[in-house]
Amino acid sequence: MRKRLPLSFCALGLLAVLFLLPFYLIARNALMSDEQITSPHWAWLPPQPHWDNFIKLFQDPTAPMLTGLINSAFIAIVTLVLQMLISSMAGYALARIPARGRDTVFAVIVATLMIPSAVTFVPTFAVTAYLGGVNTRWGIVAPGLFSAFSIFLFRQFYLRFPEDVEEAGRLDGLGYFGIYRHLLLPNSLNILMALGVLTFIGSWNSFLWPLVIGQDPSAWTVQVVLSTFLTAQTVHLAQLFAAAGVAVAPLVLVFLLMQRYIVEGAKFSGGKE
Amino acid sequence: MSSLSSSVARRPNADRSATIAFWAFISPALIGLTLFTLIPIGWGFLLSLSHAQNTIHFTHFVGLRNYIDLLTDEEFLRSLATIVVFAAFIVPLTYAASLGLALMVNRVATGRSFFRTVFFIPSAVSYVAASLIWRVSLFNGLSFGFANHLLSLIGLAPIVWIGTANPPWYWLVLVTVRLWLQVGFFMIIFLAGLQEIPSSLYEAAAVDGADPGWQMLRHITLPQLRNTSISVLLLSLIAAFQAFDEFYSVLGSGGSANGNISLARPPLVYLYSLALSNQDFGRGAAGGFILTGLIVAITLIQGRIVRFGEADP
Amino acid sequence: MLRSHFNHHHLCVTRRQFLRTTTAVVGGVLAGCTDSGGVPGARVTLTQWYHQYGEAGTQEAVLRYAAEYTRRYPDIAIKVVWVPGDYGTKLSTALLTAGGPDIFEDALTFPMVGASQVVPLDDLFTPEIRREFSAPDLAANTVGGKIYGVRMIDDTGLLYYRKSLLQAAGIEPPTTMDALISAAKRLSSGDRKGLFVGNDGGISALLTLAPWSAGSEFLSDNRIVFDTPRTAAAYERVRELIASGALLIGAPTDWADPSALIQGLTAMQWGGLWSYPAIYKALGDDVGVVPWPELDDQGAPVTFAGGWSQMINAQSRHIDEAKRFVRWMWLENGALAQDWALSYGFHVPPRQSIARNAAPLQSGVPAQAVRIVQQHGRLLPPIWNSAMTTALSDALTNIIQKGRPAAPEVAAAARKCERELERSLE
Repeated sequence: MRKRLPLSFCALGLLAVLFLLPFYLIARNALMSDEQITSPHWAWLPPQPHWDNFIKLFQDPTAPMLTGLINSAFIAIVTLVLQMLISSMAGYALARIPARGRDTVFAVIVATLMIPSAVTFVPTFAVTAYLGGVNTRWGIVAPGLFSAFSIFLFRQFYLRFPEDVEEAGRLDGLGYFGIYRHLLLPNSLNILMALGVLTFIGSWNSFLWPLVIGQDPSAWTVQVVLSTFLTAQTVHLAQLFAAAGVAVAPLVLVFLLMQRYIVEGAKFSGGKE
Repeated sequence: MSSLSSSVARRPNADRSATIAFWAFISPALIGLTLFTLIPIGWGFLLSLSHAQNTIHFTHFVGLRNYIDLLTDEEFLRSLATIVVFAAFIVPLTYAASLGLALMVNRVATGRSFFRTVFFIPSAVSYVAASLIWRVSLFNGLSFGFANHLLSLIGLAPIVWIGTANPPWYWLVLVTVRLWLQVGFFMIIFLAGLQEIPSSLYEAAAVDGADPGWQMLRHITLPQLRNTSISVLLLSLIAAFQAFDEFYSVLGSGGSANGNISLARPPLVYLYSLALSNQDFGRGAAGGFILTGLIVAITLIQGRIVRFGEADP
Repeated sequence: MLRSHFNHHHLCVTRRQFLRTTTAVVGGVLAGCTDSGGVPGARVTLTQWYHQYGEAGTQEAVLRYAAEYTRRYPDIAIKVVWVPGDYGTKLSTALLTAGGPDIFEDALTFPMVGASQVVPLDDLFTPEIRREFSAPDLAANTVGGKIYGVRMIDDTGLLYYRKSLLQAAGIEPPTTMDALISAAKRLSSGDRKGLFVGNDGGISALLTLAPWSAGSEFLSDNRIVFDTPRTAAAYERVRELIASGALLIGAPTDWADPSALIQGLTAMQWGGLWSYPAIYKALGDDVGVVPWPELDDQGAPVTFAGGWSQMINAQSRHIDEAKRFVRWMWLENGALAQDWALSYGFHVPPRQSIARNAAPLQSGVPAQAVRIVQQHGRLLPPIWNSAMTTALSDALTNIIQKGRPAAPEVAAAARKCERELERSLE
């Protein structure tokens, strides 16, 4: 490949600046006061960083940020662990366990991917309510544990899994569960991490479902808290951006730590089959 | 692709234990999907055939009336047209942008992982948060908005980005927020695809005198990326048709001024107000299924176009 | 005179602080307990929902009232749920199944009655109590001759203006649309605009005000009647208002919040009475109010007569206890009802006996506001629904933003509303 290095590099540099711009805006606005944000004299850097905006944010009784963070983290982690477990088991079964009806089950699962979740939102709420899940922790988590998308990707992954590994396991006397637990899972780290992070992010960013199911402020997630700034009549801009920063920062952190796995995992969603 | 015929012996015991194992492994997922996806879909379908106002019981059967009402509703039809036009813009744009980024990132020797990270990080941000930044800070109509500040640096007056239809600057806001949020993800997919192309192909072409750049792109890179391209186009198409968050958050303020929301209203925003504000769950569900039908149709059409492409040498 | 009513406020503050410290613990324990809503020690727990009010102190206040009730009646606990964000969605989904609130605030709609979501409250409205409420307050809560809601607070809108700025420009407070447009133009200079009616150019704020100011009605005898040349003319003048360039667009908050006026981004602002305390605190006596001006001499000045009402969920398992609480809180108790209406945001207490005697309403802008809403307050009946609002709002967007002629748009919206009305009535 030719080295058109300087041109590509410059273009990428410029684009990188553009892409980082929104993060800069969050940080800048979160550290200024409301008057400074709306003043006609633009300041690229906050003159004196208002770190107390963050303190005030956490002390605001109408926007319980800490509770929101804890709830979001709890829900996201539980969702992540359980969804990976459930989806990998299903994916394995669909890829590697011969049984009658397997193809039908797979077709049904894939068909549900076509239906936008907006269609099922209200009936899903009704089902959850009938099961007694409104205003409970499990009610917020439950629908997110079952993802046709994850099951699909796990199936694709296990289809490409080398058969000799399973063969060796069977020769050693392992049944299906043994193979799954001792051979497949430990070697699925890449896809588990990749899908796990995406699930975590999806769960963290979900808004409408936790809003509708969780009722006490003690059940609010971080996105619900953030939305109080959007709809409140008096908006404190600086606090709003501090809240946005706090809502986004943990994800960015998780992302930075885990992105290697996502990149690895991406090979299964777009590559050749 | 099926490994059904692999090393499974045809002993009835093995068959039975396989069947048991299959259902054991798949039942959590199946139960969950049944409860939280299949039943709601069925319920939604029955609602779509009923007059369900402020209720989710489908006792008042009205046949296809909800569907007919929507298909003769100019605003709903306009929302379908809006989303088709939106998709027609954003899908090629996303494709070109993410492919372009992938090509450039693939080319540079230094800083590759830095650039990859920078373009990918926005995927971690929610639509709500991003719409907030776009509306309140980046494209704010007053002079303290960032875009307006840039304009003032070159001596131009501030523009009201969101809130006037002439010229419709809000499209710029909507398109850029979606691009920012999703281009990184598709770039990663393209990068994975690019890295699977054997460099021997390029070397052979260079020996044949092919000019690097456009010719290599057209005759080697793009054909090799065919499956990846299909995936990217399909995923971004389905996502585009389900657009909701950025339209709702950028144009509607959720508070006292919702007048801007009809400037660019995709079907899901229209159905949201129908189902949740007006509580007409029958029509809301019917609209959802119409939209699904549209998505399925477009996916099939895209599949056929691609198949025609197969005939090309 | 205004000073005396704010001394009254200071007294209230001290008393409130005392109440707060002694009831905070009790209230906190009672109101914020377990998931399932059961409160130890109380025989019955009623769940009560409020939307997130913007004004400070409101959340503490409702917790206090709940605690006060439980002090009086120890085996009834009230669990208050304060809902941020999209209250409408949350409430409407909660009412669909069991497990929703026992008592909630909302605006009554016709389908709520049709789907049996609310409990008739006629037994709470003795003739004496009925006389206490104004005709619009009762009409807003009546469907099919029965009353389903108790109005808690009356809200209204006002055109706030900066007296000093108008005086400096030699303008009288506008009473007609012509005067408003010319005043707005003359008061616009540089970063400060003449008028603020919302970031959407007034589409939401003026949707019903403009036709009303022209003398149009929306519904009469369950028929759509707004398709008239007057409505079209009114909307066209709104377009003129925007085209004048004197409107503030893109303020950090919308018209329901007074920041634009307070920060000097505009000389006049259409706002709610609820914003008055913040406005008074920032601008003092420099602010005056008028109703939304008449279109011309064939029209009339108008404002909206809105508010929130308390209703009882028909699926509640404690309907009698809920009714008793609603009666105690809103129909018998004067002090708490007045506190709720006047001490945080500013609303008119719906009960005439309270409104007549409340000190804050005796003079200045609040007294004018009461007169304005009594003389010019209008409302849409419960059978008007959000699909009709959407149809009308689309029409207005087309007229204003896309420059289409008003009459055909209004006609199309009317046809759409008629179809929606038919659906509702079947």
